[in-house]
Amino acid sequence: KDTATEQVTEDMLKEVVDIFISETDTFSLLDIPGTCVSVDADDADAIIARNSQYEEVCRNRAGHGKDVDRSVQTLNGATKNKQVQSNSLIMVDAGKSVMLMMIFINVLNTMTGNIPNHRTTDCPEAVMDSSRAAERSVASTATTVSVSGSLKEVEVDGNSLNTELEWELIVLSEKFQHCLLAMEKSILRNNSQPQLAAYRQLAVLEVKPDLVEPRKGGTESSQSPALECLWVFSCELSRGRSVSCMAWNRKNPDLLAVGYGGFDFGNQTPGLVCCWSIKNLKWPERVIHCDSTVTSLDFSASSPSQLAVGTRDGSITIYSVHSQDNRHMGPVWQLRWMQQELSSSGEEKEEALLSVGADGRISKCSCQCLWLLPLKRSVLTALTPGLCFDFHPTDSSIYLTGTWEGLIHKCSFSNTQQFVETYSKHFCPVNCVAWSPFNPDVFLSCSSDWTIQLWKQDHSKPLLGFTSAQKAVCDVKWSPKWATVFGAVNEEQLEIWDLNLSILDPVIVQPAAPGVRMTSLLFSSQTDCVVVGDSVGEVAVYQLKNFSVAERSQVNFSW
Amino acid sequence: MFLVKQAEEVEARMKRIAATKGVIGTLVVNPDGVPLRSTLDQSMTLQYAGQLQNLVALARSTVRDIDPQNDLSALRVRAKNYEIIVVTGDYLMITIQKLPE
Repeated sequence: KDTATEQVTEDMLKEVVDIFISETDTFSLLDIPGTCVSVDADDADAIIARNSQYEEVCRNRAGHGKDVDRSVQTLNGATKNKQVQSNSLIMVDAGKSVMLMMIFINVLNTMTGNIPNHRTTDCPEAVMDSSRAAERSVASTATTVSVSGSLKEVEVDGNSLNTELEWELIVLSEKFQHCLLAMEKSILRNNSQPQLAAYRQLAVLEVKPDLVEPRKGGTESSQSPALECLWVFSCELSRGRSVSCMAWNRKNPDLLAVGYGGFDFGNQTPGLVCCWSIKNLKWPERVIHCDSTVTSLDFSASSPSQLAVGTRDGSITIYSVHSQDNRHMGPVWQLRWMQQELSSSGEEKEEALLSVGADGRISKCSCQCLWLLPLKRSVLTALTPGLCFDFHPTDSSIYLTGTWEGLIHKCSFSNTQQFVETYSKHFCPVNCVAWSPFNPDVFLSCSSDWTIQLWKQDHSKPLLGFTSAQKAVCDVKWSPKWATVFGAVNEEQLEIWDLNLSILDPVIVQPAAPGVRMTSLLFSSQTDCVVVGDSVGEVAVYQLKNFSVAERSQVNFSW
Repeated sequence: MFLVKQAEEVEARMKRIAATKGVIGTLVVNPDGVPLRSTLDQSMTLQYAGQLQNLVALARSTVRDIDPQNDLSALRVRAKNYEIIVVTGDYLMITIQKLPE
């Protein structure tokens, strides 16, 4: 409905408007008829009659008229004051501070449903058990006398059997073994801090002033390069055995694997591999007993805990250094070769050998064995023993092999029929060949004919020959840090050569102890140290001092 | 037989630790504070066990209050003459070593 608004004008206000008021009907909202009736009303007689009838009924009731009105008064006794006092309530303020750790533990326990083993954090007052009193009476009296009042004695378990059982349990737990390992390392580090600091080229922790002075004077006067023996890895297991080979772990530069085994031809002593760590100088981290003399070993690069060991009887074993148990502890009940798909590409299938053993474990190993190029003499077709090989640092399909004859063959994976090139100069077995890490064309070879030869890749005659002692050279290695430095070990001494300084004589000569032959050599990649193994099972670590060689990454041998 | 070998190895290791140069004594204490193995005499053992129990508890609560998911693994107290090394796990392994020089 549209309402039109009119403006109110003055005239409209003055108008006289008539308003009519009328009354509406009465609405009755509540109607309760009264119970009182007037005497003059019409039906008053009927009501009066009814009333008198009711009075009759009441009068005729039994017991009517026997009600008597009577008044009674209660006696108020005299009041008396009595006082009572109760014990005062002692109010104590109690507070508890909850550590975040306790909240965390409790929440964890309620979530996992663990019932925590309640251990009181404060030691209870001790009562020495009388049954053990005879054993400990002397000590206990001494304790109570000497110990101050603030010390609480530890409650001694009366049952000695309990502690023994507990000890058995602890000994088997892995956590405890881990504890022991950590403890051993910490203690040994304390003892051998100066040597380890020197190895890692850190500052020695505690230097006594009177010890420093003479040492400083000594080195200042002679700036010549020298070798300092830092420590010797040796333990009772390895004593007496000859070190045959050593290898650094690819991933952990502190781990050195050393293979032992006597080289006496008639003596088939079981071989030994020890993995030594720089952190523990007294005892190897891992000890692996082999059936036969260990002749070579190497760590894998892609799975750094795998160590391949070659032995005298021709077998190659791959051990996992990661855990203590390398093989099944019981009979191997089933083996199977399985084609396993590599996850990323469905195409490649790698075959793996799975085995299940009596110790309840299933293991998988995958490796492939391929027989590569046989080493033949040029004239006769009999095979000649190969003693060593080395892969080219940049082109990994080319490798060098040194043979018993004294010939060095360069071979490649692509050509399996014949050698790419043959280098002949040595007339005795070639013990080691090594490509130079800085110059990809140059390699060294050492042999039992007392010489070390330096070759260039395309020349069939060596560039340089080095002789220093009249002993067979067992091992030669390039230094990973300096391009012109290499180390060689012959039976009686360790030699460090620097081609920059001299090509006739080694820079440093370290003689071996009398009666001991040095057998193998390794440079440490991280520090200036050289590791030498010898025929009595000792692996000595020497530090190269005062070696001021200009570090150049590329050296050109121009002849 | 594997477990026996492990137990032997553990015993051998403990002997080696105790025989290391500079080590005055070693002890192993269970969580209730009862020393289980010790190379020291009774009074020293009880002393070390009692005193270190409190210190380890304090150190542990410090570490865990800051980060409840962390836990104390080792504690070293280096004094003038010697060093106390405590390696904790479920059990406390305590070694007292005389410092070199």
